[in-house]
Amino acid sequence: MMAHRDIAAKYPRWVPGVAFVAHCLLNQNAKTRGGARCPGIYSPLVDVLRQKGWRIEQMPCPELAFTGLNRFWAVREQYDTTAFRKHCRRLASAVASAVDVHAKAGRDVVLVGIEGSPSMGVCITSSDPERAGLPEWPDGSDELAPGEGIYIEELRSELAARGITGTRLIGITHQLPDHDRHDERTRLEAFLAR
Amino acid sequence: MRRRDKRSYRVALVADRYLNPPARGLDVIPILLEAGWGVIQLPADAYPREVAGPLLEQVAEQTEEFHRHGYDVVVIGRRAGLKEALAMARVPRLDQFVPVNADALIAFLRERPSPKATTARKRTRRVPVADA
Repeated sequence: MMAHRDIAAKYPRWVPGVAFVAHCLLNQNAKTRGGARCPGIYSPLVDVLRQKGWRIEQMPCPELAFTGLNRFWAVREQYDTTAFRKHCRRLASAVASAVDVHAKAGRDVVLVGIEGSPSMGVCITSSDPERAGLPEWPDGSDELAPGEGIYIEELRSELAARGITGTRLIGITHQLPDHDRHDERTRLEAFLAR
Repeated sequence: MRRRDKRSYRVALVADRYLNPPARGLDVIPILLEAGWGVIQLPADAYPREVAGPLLEQVAEQTEEFHRHGYDVVVIGRRAGLKEALAMARVPRLDQFVPVNADALIAFLRERPSPKATTARKRTRRVPVADA
């Protein structure tokens, strides 16, 4: 097996850190129908990471591979099943192995999730214990709630089980009603500078 | 009010060296951004097999979903193990392009046909409900 220091030496240039980003930040095609904010790459995040010289790593989308492109908008309670958690742990294990490579090489590693997401939320998820059946809830339903998404929870747990500490998390806020692009950029720049 | 969905129905599987390019290497992000393509990143060549394998499996499963729904999916660059991972997920051979420079990639992307997903959706809208 190749030693981690050898892997580190194969990277062509020094980077201040490695950002493991939610799948949809590079591919809005993965969003639930009606949720794509742009054709493909979400540029506000990529611009900041590029300007700061950060390496980008894309995480898999937990919902895309599980419920597919024709999935309904869903809240955390609808995904909080044994089968979905098992699926998330499988994804988290693959990502944690990659995080481990960079952590062992001494790089700063951050995780970038999606606020408001049932699986990728960092500080804000979506919640509605009553949501079920025919999907006809009114627009603007108040489903945002404090808490983590299920995949983020499982990934943090996997990293902790492997003894990988110091991985910081931040959530992109473009799905939130009070999203402000300028504020988000300022917040991201401050986060990466820490 | 719900926003209009802005997806492009175009997804590129991109070798890591073009997403995290070395100094003076080809950076495809500005090109894909301008052309409106989404990205699925292929694992870095530097990852050992036991790290890259499960990541390639995820790539293949997600690719299958896009392909089955008629999105235009292409491969930009090369990645060892990708062909086998896609075959395991029952994804047929995808068009692949190894760009020598930015102009060549731009030309390749311009020549792509409309994604089947977009033409199928337009066709569906033209069919009167009573005749469907």
